[in-house]
Amino acid sequence: MERKLNAELWDKMHYLFRDFNDRMVHVELHYDFEIDIEALKTVLICFFEKAPVLHSCFKDNHVSPYWIVKPYHIDDVLTVSHPDNLEEAVNTFLTQYIPPDSDLQMQVAVFFHEGQSTLCIVENHMCMDGGDFKYFLKALCKNYNDYVQNGISPIELREGTRSFEAVYNDFSQTEQRMARNLYKNVCAKDNHKFPLTPDSIRDHSFIARRKISAEKFAQIKAAGKRHGATVNDVLVAAYFYSLYTLADYNPSDSVTISCAIDLRRHIKDVSDEGLTNHTAFMQCNIPERGRDIFQTLQYVVHSSNLYKKDKFMGLYGLPLLKLGYNILPHAASEEIIKIGYSNPLLAMSNIGILEVDKLALDGHEPTDGFMTGAVKYKPYVLLSATTMRNVVTLSMCVRGNDEDKRIVERFFDLMEKNLDALTVE
Amino acid sequence: MSSFIDYIENTFADTANNDTLYRYKRLVLDKMTERANEVTHTGLHDEKVLDDLIISEFPHLKENYQKFCAEDRHRRREKALNKFMIFGTIGFILALVVLYLAVSFLTDAWSQTWLLIVGGILLWVIFLLSVFIRRITALRRLFHPFARVLLALSIMAGATVVFLFTLVVLHRSDAWVIYPIAVVLMYVADGIYAYVTKQKLRIINYLIYIPAAMPMLYVVLGALDILPWHPGWLLMPLSVLIDLAMIAFRSASNAKYRYKQEVDDEWNAN
Repeated sequence: MERKLNAELWDKMHYLFRDFNDRMVHVELHYDFEIDIEALKTVLICFFEKAPVLHSCFKDNHVSPYWIVKPYHIDDVLTVSHPDNLEEAVNTFLTQYIPPDSDLQMQVAVFFHEGQSTLCIVENHMCMDGGDFKYFLKALCKNYNDYVQNGISPIELREGTRSFEAVYNDFSQTEQRMARNLYKNVCAKDNHKFPLTPDSIRDHSFIARRKISAEKFAQIKAAGKRHGATVNDVLVAAYFYSLYTLADYNPSDSVTISCAIDLRRHIKDVSDEGLTNHTAFMQCNIPERGRDIFQTLQYVVHSSNLYKKDKFMGLYGLPLLKLGYNILPHAASEEIIKIGYSNPLLAMSNIGILEVDKLALDGHEPTDGFMTGAVKYKPYVLLSATTMRNVVTLSMCVRGNDEDKRIVERFFDLMEKNLDALTVE
Repeated sequence: MSSFIDYIENTFADTANNDTLYRYKRLVLDKMTERANEVTHTGLHDEKVLDDLIISEFPHLKENYQKFCAEDRHRRREKALNKFMIFGTIGFILALVVLYLAVSFLTDAWSQTWLLIVGGILLWVIFLLSVFIRRITALRRLFHPFARVLLALSIMAGATVVFLFTLVVLHRSDAWVIYPIAVVLMYVADGIYAYVTKQKLRIINYLIYIPAAMPMLYVVLGALDILPWHPGWLLMPLSVLIDLAMIAFRSASNAKYRYKQEVDDEWNAN
């Protein structure tokens, strides 16, 4: 008999985002040794069994969608190869698209090259967000190490509910009622776009990335401290300022960037939660560009502080979405939600630190790596940032052409220039 | 497989063996074996990992055994009830026919005694409907509308019994009022069902039912001379006022739970 899993609210929401992005989350980790493939296969099988949504296909039922758990073979999940051109192999793998109705929602590859290994994973955002994907990677490494070094079975992966309602569980009853009454449409309503070329049938997915050195990162942190800002605020300020130049916005225009926030901040203990999505967006708005980037930073700090003060940060809009999906059949609720929902044209996701000690495999810490969000379809863009060994990797996944690549590279140049300006003492 | 057996046996080492426990152990072992076969097909070759993985999927055997026992008892009860419903229906109809014939021959009131058959069958139907309502209520909320329809049907069946009795035995010409009363009772019963089963947005039901029931009540009270037709019609605007009062009351009680950040800030500052 086929096993079915409930399609949770965020599964449905990410499915709805199919018009805006490819819903894939990507990670790339480099190791200076050859990964034990048989051990990795064993760990992956155990993890797939612990999180059956990873080997399920999404059934877009018009009344109520669900996941159907599918049989699989680990060789369909894990690809192992010895490419001559590592960069090309990695890029080709990372830019793949996994349809939601496929039997597997995660693909893993290990590329061996000159005695080193590159571990790449692509997964459907409908299954889990960057926060849980980071946990998944850390658990993968820990279980791999325990298995290889001590023969401990790799079965330590969180299991439990995937429901979005976990965010309410640690509130008092009164707070819960308050949070469940936050019926508010929190969509971004800003028409400022990233200046990409018009859509074309020849467009292809690419991941543009730019590294910011550890020295520069230290300067960013110091600059943030001086101005009462977080690293995220500094990056967002540079993002804003670069956009005004790149897209030639009027300096007096108000612009909004949607920043991803992890709703797990409301959950005291996530050990009973399954792998899922707990991400919302806060609208970081500046009234104008400001006379210089320092003033832009002030605006950003002011805007993000407004959110940080809020006890229910990120929980606005959830009751409205729940109501939308509950009272109508799925097909109808999608149409209704589409009317009220406007996808942010400019977004940023600071995925945070990739801790090398926790991502070490068999005593080998990753030498390099990054994680990034979905490939956005023009005109939508998402800037992702991850930090490893104090090196920040900025990345942007776009479905575009060579000209778009150049535009994104120019954007990264501007980001670097503006970060330099911000960090001047 | 032997590790699964060991795991199950060790878990229940201090539990007295009986038929239910044996069936539970067998069921768990079958499930574990089936899962192990499934996982083996994925390409997992390490036997120890396979065993640990499958055992980790069955962590609370003792707690689940208690649930299994409770379900087992429930299943037996349901089975007995099903038998009662099948044989009871036949037995009840036979008893009704015997009673009908006996009373009819003894009293010679054939024009009235047929009510025994019709009324008896309708009461049995109400009993069967109540069983189905209980069973459907135990299912997911998605199926509850069916229970609500059956509840309405059972009230109409009950109203029919009362109507026939009032008409045939009591010879009351105003027996027709039973049906408008039944409609009001349908709304009341559905409202109670919605409350007891904690249906979401049941306030909408109440807001619709009150103005819908009021004309029926008006007709009944008017027809029975309990309330004069004029100013009895005021019941209708009264229903709208009741609705408005309910909305106001609900809004006021919900306002307590409206989050105002500035109030929170002020509170924290003090």
